[in-house]
Amino acid sequence: MSRESLLVATFVELTDVLVDEFDVVDLLTHLTDRCVEVLDVTAAGLLLADPAGELRVVASSSEAMHTLELFELQSAEGPCFECFHTGEPIANAQLTPTDQPWATFGPRAIASGFLSVTALPMRLRGRTIGALNLFRSDANELSERDLRAAQAFADVATIGILQHLAVEEAQTVNDQLTAALNSRVVIEQAKGMVAERNGLDMADAFNRLRGHARAHNLRLSDLAAQVVAGTVSPVALDAQPPKRRAAK
Amino acid sequence: MTDAHVLEIQGRFTSGATPLDTQRLCDVCADVAQMSGAGIMMMSGDVQRGSLCTTNHVSALIEELQFSLSEGPCLDAFHEARPVLEPDLTNPRVVRWMAFSEAAVEAGVRAIFGFPISVGPVKLGALNLYRDEPGGLTTEQHGDCLILADTVARSVIMMQAHATPGQLAQEFEAGADFELVIHQASGMVAAQLGTSVGQALIRLQAHAFGNDQSLRSVARAVIGRELRFDGPADPVLISQSEQ
Repeated sequence: MSRESLLVATFVELTDVLVDEFDVVDLLTHLTDRCVEVLDVTAAGLLLADPAGELRVVASSSEAMHTLELFELQSAEGPCFECFHTGEPIANAQLTPTDQPWATFGPRAIASGFLSVTALPMRLRGRTIGALNLFRSDANELSERDLRAAQAFADVATIGILQHLAVEEAQTVNDQLTAALNSRVVIEQAKGMVAERNGLDMADAFNRLRGHARAHNLRLSDLAAQVVAGTVSPVALDAQPPKRRAAK
Repeated sequence: MTDAHVLEIQGRFTSGATPLDTQRLCDVCADVAQMSGAGIMMMSGDVQRGSLCTTNHVSALIEELQFSLSEGPCLDAFHEARPVLEPDLTNPRVVRWMAFSEAAVEAGVRAIFGFPISVGPVKLGALNLYRDEPGGLTTEQHGDCLILADTVARSVIMMQAHATPGQLAQEFEAGADFELVIHQASGMVAAQLGTSVGQALIRLQAHAFGNDQSLRSVARAVIGRELRFDGPADPVLISQSEQ
């Protein structure tokens, strides 16, 4: 595949987050693999903030990269860490034994075979959710073109992740909505059955259902479901006199 | 479609002094889309749940007809997960929704548009927008309708997310019509026939269709004990049989 086709294919993959089987880790592992394939980098890694705001290693293109990212988190120092906290990109930072910005992380990265690093924020509307790390085994700079493509990958992945969170929440809430509506429907159906079999109007049918549920410590929706399913007969419910007449 | 334009439309929903309610959801949709009326149909899975809100009696009728007849633009928009547009209901390019169209045209509907209400793959329902004059949507209007449907979806989720667990959002209790009379009538007819409520509902629907009545009016007749379903034969109108 040409570079352009690979770029396009990567964008298509990154936007394919609305399917049921969508998995954030799969998507981001794919992203780091594609970075190595499409961009002029040796390794790529990705950190995401957990709900408490702590960074976690989510995806890496290689085991060496994974170990280095873990080390970065442990020492709370390094390009990804810095980029996440400032929300600003770090482009082409050179790592030399004598002169580099990170006293602990730097030597470790050099020992892992990396001489140049770029970190790009995963950011949408002022909210930074993680950072993408790109490493090179030589000191050459990433081209402006590759930097732009990498940031675009990070942006699309960010939108995908945030959208996915919105979808997950919507699914949970919609399930609750459906359950609430279902129990409402079943109660109305049970009211109809109780009204018909006992010659009551809907209000009195509801009172009878509710009174029986209370007297037997049942949930109204559970009792209604039993009436509708035929396991509790509508004529077997406790016929309590209305309260205002009960005093007599 | 710029961010600023999206924010401007979203701002219309939240600009009021009172918290957002379902009536304002519908009113703002009709207003922004420049329509004669709007309604929000709720679905769970493939089951129609009724209407969350409508702006006027025609919008309410559009919702009821689709509930009663199980056909119409909102149902298509929901099932096909895409906008369904009919700019000229009296002279449609594709003939569809025979029963629905006839009744809707009679009520003054000339153009009708259904937009799915969803958050990604989570499908919640459909937005119905109608106009009393024929004519399609401009590109801008079409774009605005997509923003409206998206904002409605997020608002519905937000409202229900704040509800007591197991309960419907309070906002939905106000203007919504979840067709409860139909479920009551299904219960009564199930007891009359000794069938399941599902089968009872089918009998009600068949009776409504066969007698050119709305499902809701048939349900009301059952609840008012003017109509009984007592056997496999046709139902009995009480007023006639007693005379």
